Amino acid sequence: MSDNVFHLPDLGEGLTEAEIVTWHVRAGDRVKAGDPLVTVETDKAVVDIPAPRSAQIVECHGAEGDVVTVGAPLVTFQGGAADTGGVVGRLPEAAAVSAPAVEPPAPSAGQRQRVRASPKARQRARELGVDLATVQPQGAIIQAEDVERVAAASTTPGTATVVDAGKSSRDLADTSGATALRGVRRAMARRMADAHRRVVPALVTDEADISTWTDAQRPLPRLVRAIVAASAAEPLLNAWFDDAALTLNPQTGVQLGIAMETDDGLFVPVLRDAETRTLTEIGTAVTELEAAVRSRSIAPEALRGQTISLSNFGAVAGQHAQMVVVPPQVAIVGAGRAFERAAWVDGAARGQRVLPISLTFDHRAVTGVEACRFLLALLDDLHRSD
Amino acid sequence: MTQVATFAVEHSAYLDADGKALQPLPEALAQPDTLRALYRWMTLARAFDAKAIELQRTGRLGTYASCLGQEAAGVGVGYAMQPEDVLLPSFREQAVQLVRGVTATELLLYWGGDERGSDFHGPRQDFPISITVGGHAPHAAGVALAFKLRAEARVAVCAIGDGATSKGDLYEAMNVAGAWQLPLVFVVNNNQWAISMPRAEQSAARTLAQKAIAAGFTGEQVDGNDVVAVTDVVGKAIAHARAGGGPRLVECLTYRLSDHTTVDDASRYRSDEEVSRHWHEDPLKRLRLWLEREHGWSAEDDDACRAECEASITAAADAYLATPPQAPESLFDYLYETLPDDLRAQRDALLAEPRDEHGHG
Amino acid sequence: MAEHTLLEAVNLALRRAMADDERVLVLGEDVGVDGGVFRATDGLQQAYGANRVLDTPLAETAIAGIAIGLAAQGFRPVAEIQFMGFIYPAIDQLISHASRLRTRTRGRLSCPMVLRAPYGGGVHAPEHHSESTEAMLAHIPGLRVVIPSSPRRAYGLLLAAIQDPDPVVFLEPKRIYRAFREALDDDGVALPLDRAEILRAGTDLTIIGWGAMLRECLSAAEALAADGVSAEVIDVATLKPLDSATLLASARRTGRVLIVHEAARTAGYGAEIAARIAEEAMFELEAPIVRVTGYDTVMPLPGLEQKYMPNRARILAAAHRVLNPS
Repeated sequence: MSDNVFHLPDLGEGLTEAEIVTWHVRAGDRVKAGDPLVTVETDKAVVDIPAPRSAQIVECHGAEGDVVTVGAPLVTFQGGAADTGGVVGRLPEAAAVSAPAVEPPAPSAGQRQRVRASPKARQRARELGVDLATVQPQGAIIQAEDVERVAAASTTPGTATVVDAGKSSRDLADTSGATALRGVRRAMARRMADAHRRVVPALVTDEADISTWTDAQRPLPRLVRAIVAASAAEPLLNAWFDDAALTLNPQTGVQLGIAMETDDGLFVPVLRDAETRTLTEIGTAVTELEAAVRSRSIAPEALRGQTISLSNFGAVAGQHAQMVVVPPQVAIVGAGRAFERAAWVDGAARGQRVLPISLTFDHRAVTGVEACRFLLALLDDLHRSD
Repeated sequence: MTQVATFAVEHSAYLDADGKALQPLPEALAQPDTLRALYRWMTLARAFDAKAIELQRTGRLGTYASCLGQEAAGVGVGYAMQPEDVLLPSFREQAVQLVRGVTATELLLYWGGDERGSDFHGPRQDFPISITVGGHAPHAAGVALAFKLRAEARVAVCAIGDGATSKGDLYEAMNVAGAWQLPLVFVVNNNQWAISMPRAEQSAARTLAQKAIAAGFTGEQVDGNDVVAVTDVVGKAIAHARAGGGPRLVECLTYRLSDHTTVDDASRYRSDEEVSRHWHEDPLKRLRLWLEREHGWSAEDDDACRAECEASITAAADAYLATPPQAPESLFDYLYETLPDDLRAQRDALLAEPRDEHGHG
Repeated sequence: MAEHTLLEAVNLALRRAMADDERVLVLGEDVGVDGGVFRATDGLQQAYGANRVLDTPLAETAIAGIAIGLAAQGFRPVAEIQFMGFIYPAIDQLISHASRLRTRTRGRLSCPMVLRAPYGGGVHAPEHHSESTEAMLAHIPGLRVVIPSSPRRAYGLLLAAIQDPDPVVFLEPKRIYRAFREALDDDGVALPLDRAEILRAGTDLTIIGWGAMLRECLSAAEALAADGVSAEVIDVATLKPLDSATLLASARRTGRVLIVHEAARTAGYGAEIAARIAEEAMFELEAPIVRVTGYDTVMPLPGLEQKYMPNRARILAAAHRVLNPS
């Protein structure tokens, strides 16, 4: 519905709110683009806000005398095109930009009484593993050559001035071809590290018999439907875990994040309200998400709010995998590469097509039994023939 | 005591506020086709203005300086110029720019915060609007000097407001234009208000036109709400300059019916009564009355003209709204003809800025 | 090859540019009949006529603004501001218009103009005639700020500035207008802009300067050599945009940096250079970066001028601090 909501724009240069003076329309009215909707008073002026488009009004938000903040809903329209209001000079929300984490400098010996050394001497000391506190300078401050002299004199093992006589990893690595991570890849690096610090992952795997699937069936829509079914059977895995408050919040809707890779890196767009969709609708939605990711036209909102995730890594290779659960989610389902095998079924050998399934879950939030119950329901759905 | 010089400032008008002729209209402008064209341009300018404010009020345009009430002063100047002339506009000259061939989409792009709006596809040599008040007057002298040095029959037209007549930039430009007899016409769009400073407090000079006299050339006044008078007088000034007669200044007496900009509230410094009084002087009304009386212009004609202008502006606004944003690196790409080595790292840094991403993985 | 002063080199470059390109115009106060108060434009009006060498009214805003109008119309104006102390009325034109005309029209209009001004102290000139406010200009995106340090460099850099498609402020250190001569071939060959020049190679210390200060820097380097210290001397030449690469490479080689300018210290251009070296080459430095500059005082009348200006003795004292940090 948010597409039909017209939000209060910034009517000046950096104004933050306005007071509603007079409404010129009521719910149910039909307005033409340009018709006056409402008169508001800002810090700078009293101005009329016209209708941004022709449509019927469903709701007027706020009463006369109310103060409305810029960006808050003002009018809800029936139908019509999406509101693109507020495009001019819109600033990104500062809080939404993930800034690189700043590591505090490691405490060093003698931090309180700093050694007087040139920056270059400090650099060489780090490279050569020389403790500056042990270096006696020839001049007033320690210089690079003082450090090198000490390092050269202490090649004998056991000399106290040498902390680590070996080369630093920086000296050994070939860094000539290194490239700085950017954009999506950089975001991935930070997100994964964060997940790794916080989550306690546990893995359980199994195999689904998909012999009854038709050749035309793509695994993704089936996997989506199976996750919906499993979430209904065991809601604790379609949940958000707040590790600060230590609360587990099962989600009613299934907002399924589907991992998709591009040359730019990993995207996890969200298939919204998967529980409301038929298999065919799921198929269409997956195709649309794939196209949007490929063309990089995916909206930032479509990349947020996952309640559980899915990785179809088997589309490339691999059978089972330990995956990364990204907080606050508690589970991610992975599908490996399908393969054929001979299976012993009901006392007889027969050919079977099998899809390996992995389930990684955050053991802080759910138990092994809960996870297995989820997995069982998932397999049951995959086994269905339709 | 000997009188060493005397000066006069003339004032011209053809149509009064009720659309009655004060004197016979100049023949070249009296033709119904011409008058209808002038009326249509003014209607277009007004439609543009309304659309721009509507877009600003719905968060789809930045701060905008309305030209409401000043359509005649703009359209007349635009109509009097030749395509090969060069306009150096202030920030309230949308009407001149539209007549010059700057598109409404380009104007909206500019006011919407996009430099591509000043990359005019029509008048390629016209200057972008000057936000600095009067800062562009010396450029007009430079452009006019270029014409004179190349012996081209072209004229630079510098449009400024009443506020700019208090600025040194304008005095310097007028002085050199007079000294060098440049083909340059200054048009002062005197709308009586420089934000909150009324004309009477702006200068003790009886007229703003007389400021030209100090620089050694003619300054005259015209009823700036009378598009016939503006076109006629500015046209003559341009012809005079084109013929090598040197600069002129035309002070158009008009009135800003709008706020200074969309972030201004004019009711803080002037009364509704004053503004209502000036609505009586509306430049569109008087020409419409003349057309009705003399040329059978009907209410249907008027509606059709307005509808056509509004449709054209709506299409331009749609095109503006559908324009994809500029690439961020364009910040750097037009700074110098070739990006200096020293700026490459900054450009790369801009491109590598972390995006606002919430993609999980 | 004839020997010329820096002033003659400017005159030669202007003549050459006017001969080679009819779009080149010279304008300013007293530049025509009088040939300029320093005679930088001497004889140009006789040679090229009053339509190409224009005496303007006394109005610096107009001079800069007219140059912008001419440049937008395809001319290559070279405007003179008589002294840098009178450049301020033109600054609005440089900041608000010249530097951004290309950007704001997305390249539809551009501003290939040169604004020349004699600058700096040391010639016992009256009040307002001796300031060095180049940092103010170097702060402005879209401008080029070029300062020659010798007759040969003045000739080549001025030709380059006139040929450049964007606005250039060309500041001529008047203290060395006539101080020395240099063999100079009037061959019309421009020097590259945006490039610093190593005037003297060295291994122990990098001395960075521009304009008239380089005479002092070179003289100090000479004295240091007698003590066995090898100082590298670099002429920044184009302050904006800065040739960081040359400065950084030298700083990394020597590990010690001294920056010299006669402008006041605070927010002087030395601060920018010091910041860049600190940002990029901190761990290759053996000592703090040191600046030798004018004081943060009003530029004095000639009576105390010599106390204000950095000189060889001050540079040498600073060099010893950089060489023996404590």
